[in-house]
Amino acid sequence: MTDILRIAVPLTAWLAAFSAVYGLQGLVCSPRWAEAGFDLAAGRAAMTAAWIAAAILQVAFLLALRSPRFASRSAFVRGVSLTLAVVALVATLWTLVPVVTTSACL
Amino acid sequence: MNALRRHRALERIWGPRPGWRGKLTTVNNNDIGLMFLALAVTYFVIGGILAMLIRAQLATPRSAFMGPDVYNQVFTMHGVIMMFLFAIPLFEGLTVYLLPKMLGTRDLAFPRLSAFGFWCYAFGGALLILALLAGIAPDGGWFMYPPLSSTLGSPGINADFWLLGITFVEISAISASAEIVVTVLLYRAPGMSLDRLPIFAWYMLVVAMMILTGFPPLILGSTLLELERAFGMPFFQADAGGDSILWQHLFWLFGHPEVYIIFLPAAGVISTVLPVMARTTLLGYGWIVAAAVSLGILSFGIWVHHMYATGIPHMGLAFFSAASTLVAVPTGVQVFAWIGTLWKGRPEMHLPMLWILAFFATFVMGGLTGVMVAVVPFDWQSHDTYFIVAHLHYVLVGGFVFPMLAGLYYWLPNFTGRRRYFKLGKTAFWLVVVGFHGTFLLLHWAGLLGMRRRIDHIEPGSGWELINLLASIGGFVMAIGFALVLIDVVVNAVVAVRGRRNPWQAGTLEWAMPAPSPSYNLASIPKVHSRNPLHDDPDLPVRIARGEGYLGDPGSGLREILTVEIASGRPNSLVIFPTNSALPIVMAFVTGGLFVGMLIKAYWLVPLSLVGVAALGIWWAWSLGSREDQDSRPVGHGLVLPPATEVERPPGWWGSLFLLLADGVFFGSLLFGYAFLWTVAPNWPPPAWLEPGLRGPLLALGGAVLALGGIRLADRALRRDGGPWLGLLLSLAGLSALGAAAVTVLTRTSHDAHAYDATLWVVAGYVVFHATVAGLMTVFLALRAAGGYLSARRVGEARVVRLWTDYAVAVALLGLGAAWLPGVPT
Repeated sequence: MTDILRIAVPLTAWLAAFSAVYGLQGLVCSPRWAEAGFDLAAGRAAMTAAWIAAAILQVAFLLALRSPRFASRSAFVRGVSLTLAVVALVATLWTLVPVVTTSACL
Repeated sequence: MNALRRHRALERIWGPRPGWRGKLTTVNNNDIGLMFLALAVTYFVIGGILAMLIRAQLATPRSAFMGPDVYNQVFTMHGVIMMFLFAIPLFEGLTVYLLPKMLGTRDLAFPRLSAFGFWCYAFGGALLILALLAGIAPDGGWFMYPPLSSTLGSPGINADFWLLGITFVEISAISASAEIVVTVLLYRAPGMSLDRLPIFAWYMLVVAMMILTGFPPLILGSTLLELERAFGMPFFQADAGGDSILWQHLFWLFGHPEVYIIFLPAAGVISTVLPVMARTTLLGYGWIVAAAVSLGILSFGIWVHHMYATGIPHMGLAFFSAASTLVAVPTGVQVFAWIGTLWKGRPEMHLPMLWILAFFATFVMGGLTGVMVAVVPFDWQSHDTYFIVAHLHYVLVGGFVFPMLAGLYYWLPNFTGRRRYFKLGKTAFWLVVVGFHGTFLLLHWAGLLGMRRRIDHIEPGSGWELINLLASIGGFVMAIGFALVLIDVVVNAVVAVRGRRNPWQAGTLEWAMPAPSPSYNLASIPKVHSRNPLHDDPDLPVRIARGEGYLGDPGSGLREILTVEIASGRPNSLVIFPTNSALPIVMAFVTGGLFVGMLIKAYWLVPLSLVGVAALGIWWAWSLGSREDQDSRPVGHGLVLPPATEVERPPGWWGSLFLLLADGVFFGSLLFGYAFLWTVAPNWPPPAWLEPGLRGPLLALGGAVLALGGIRLADRALRRDGGPWLGLLLSLAGLSALGAAAVTVLTRTSHDAHAYDATLWVVAGYVVFHATVAGLMTVFLALRAAGGYLSARRVGEARVVRLWTDYAVAVALLGLGAAWLPGVPT
């Protein structure tokens, strides 16, 4: 099971982060965000911080899956899990880049 | 024992009962797989006839062939049948039939669950077909958007057939997926480590995980919409705090992964068949595994690309547009790996290969139009036009039907034991391919000219008349082609001459047994040293038949099977499977009472059916297990294995784990819906938040401590061969307290006052349901302990109950916490 987790976790973490940032955007653009006393700039800062945190997490997965402590003993699983960790890192950077490039709530 | 006597003994053990009762009581993967396939093909024919009715209607302007009422039912049911009653059950059937053979084992992990799933599919599908015949079929589109599908837009019973029938059918998909995952992980030939899995098994592992995580949002959406329709709980009504866009989120959280749930099994077929047709091995096995896993997970991040036109802010659109373009990368990796496989091999142009080439051309075109509609500005132009209809058919027919036909012709000798003799198949191929492109290539054009989806007629002078006439002619040519495929297959299956066992010289284990395969699949279970065991050892089939593998001695008279360790494939335990039983069909029938009761508004039938299902579930579980500790037993080659009832995590534990994964996604989707309404829906906040008070939270916290502690105490006592009574009693008290805490939410809100109240009702109801299930399991465990079914070595059942108890506590704390939190500041 640990090998299956090594394969699945980085991309699942991407999915969780992606959904969380999308949810955060929904919150930032809702009346609840203003009711809580925050403005749009704070919202963009929160989303950017979440994006950076997600990217750091993916780098951590990548390093962990290369380390002797967490890497699989199976060369096949090691190869696949590292490939997928790279995919998850690229996916995190690419799919969440709109937090700094587009209008938030239009 | 010679091979013939072994065959007769094993067939007696694993085969169905004789006569018609055999089909109703069989739990064997061969029977269930074939029944799935036959029914799915039947639905394909029905769905195809509906498609032809659509094309007949649209062939000429202002056609009087069908009125709008009938047309709406026809196009809705065409989509519903093809998506839910044909595509998914077809690959389920193929997988149920083939997967154990490919993995070198004798059956799937939970044979009775397979049979239960099949009967749910049969009964649920029958509900929809009856509705069609009675003229009261769903008519709001296969995606059932409210308010068109709510009581406001569809006051009749039509929409209820969709909501209830499809949910009933989806039980079969969830059942099949849980057991496919457990089968791939645990039930394999010894030596079959993860890197030696047949590539089809990898795909099916990914697909099954996708079904477990993709279907629950739809089941939740269907449940909420049916609750709204039946009891006025306003989840999708804006004036009462609901939002119809919530349905679209829940639907497409399922709907987009669904496209890949349908495509990936077909890709698994391509990856299996293509190397054999090219007389080589698959190029980039590891890359393909990585691509399949990537697609499986990335596809969940693109559901909103079906909702670009709903008014979502630019940033949200950009997230999903970026993810949608990204998903083309792993698809491309697969396509290039397949092209590379062809490049390094010596392709032979047999009929399966022709269908694969048709797949390449069609799917790549469909994939490219997919990238086009992933780009927001283009999507805004083409939204809800026939361009989308054409794209969808290119992806689904090109990406699923054509590969499945390649698979059909590839495995036909395995199914029938006959050599294809009649040559209708090639004529059928050309008719289907030419007819398909003649229809849908043209419909892209109609879409670009602005022809809207779902219209029941076209107007003269619209500029779409000739295109539609030609597309309809193409559609009928395609239909004739499909009919010829069916005739070709039936004729060859019935009267063609007997063929060789492995006519394609393939390397995977499904060709290592007689064709058609016996009920037990393998007379003995081989040890595997590579991905293509038959290439390593061409004599393997003979040695398997001679009983030279594991479990070659049928002397016990029991259905014996091995489990292995997940990563290494080392043998782990010996499982004794249950025999044929009427329980699955009876349980599916009683489960149907839940849905029929809701459908005909005989609500008394719903709790009655629930009690019936619970009673049958207890009966089901009671028949398993043992009253005595058993010694480890020899399984051949000097290997001695413990019984699966005495390992810490028996297959039932794994099955529960994956069912709870699906359950957890359902719950997560519910919390997502709650958060969505809270942030986005108009008419929020509600008139008043629920104030938690003290009693409810204290009951919840105390109950959680008692339930968690009690079940652990019982587990520890059992492992010391002591009585688990105190622990079980404490756990039961804790679960009762959790249920009572949830009831305080129900009694202090009105289910139909506001979407907020309705959501709290569903959250609390969910908690009550799970506390009840875990409570029933705890009582069951006490009865099993009293009956002598548990011991220090036989703790697996306690572990299963512990898992369900932990889950019930987790969802109670999370769900009730979410319900009470907004009311805390007040």
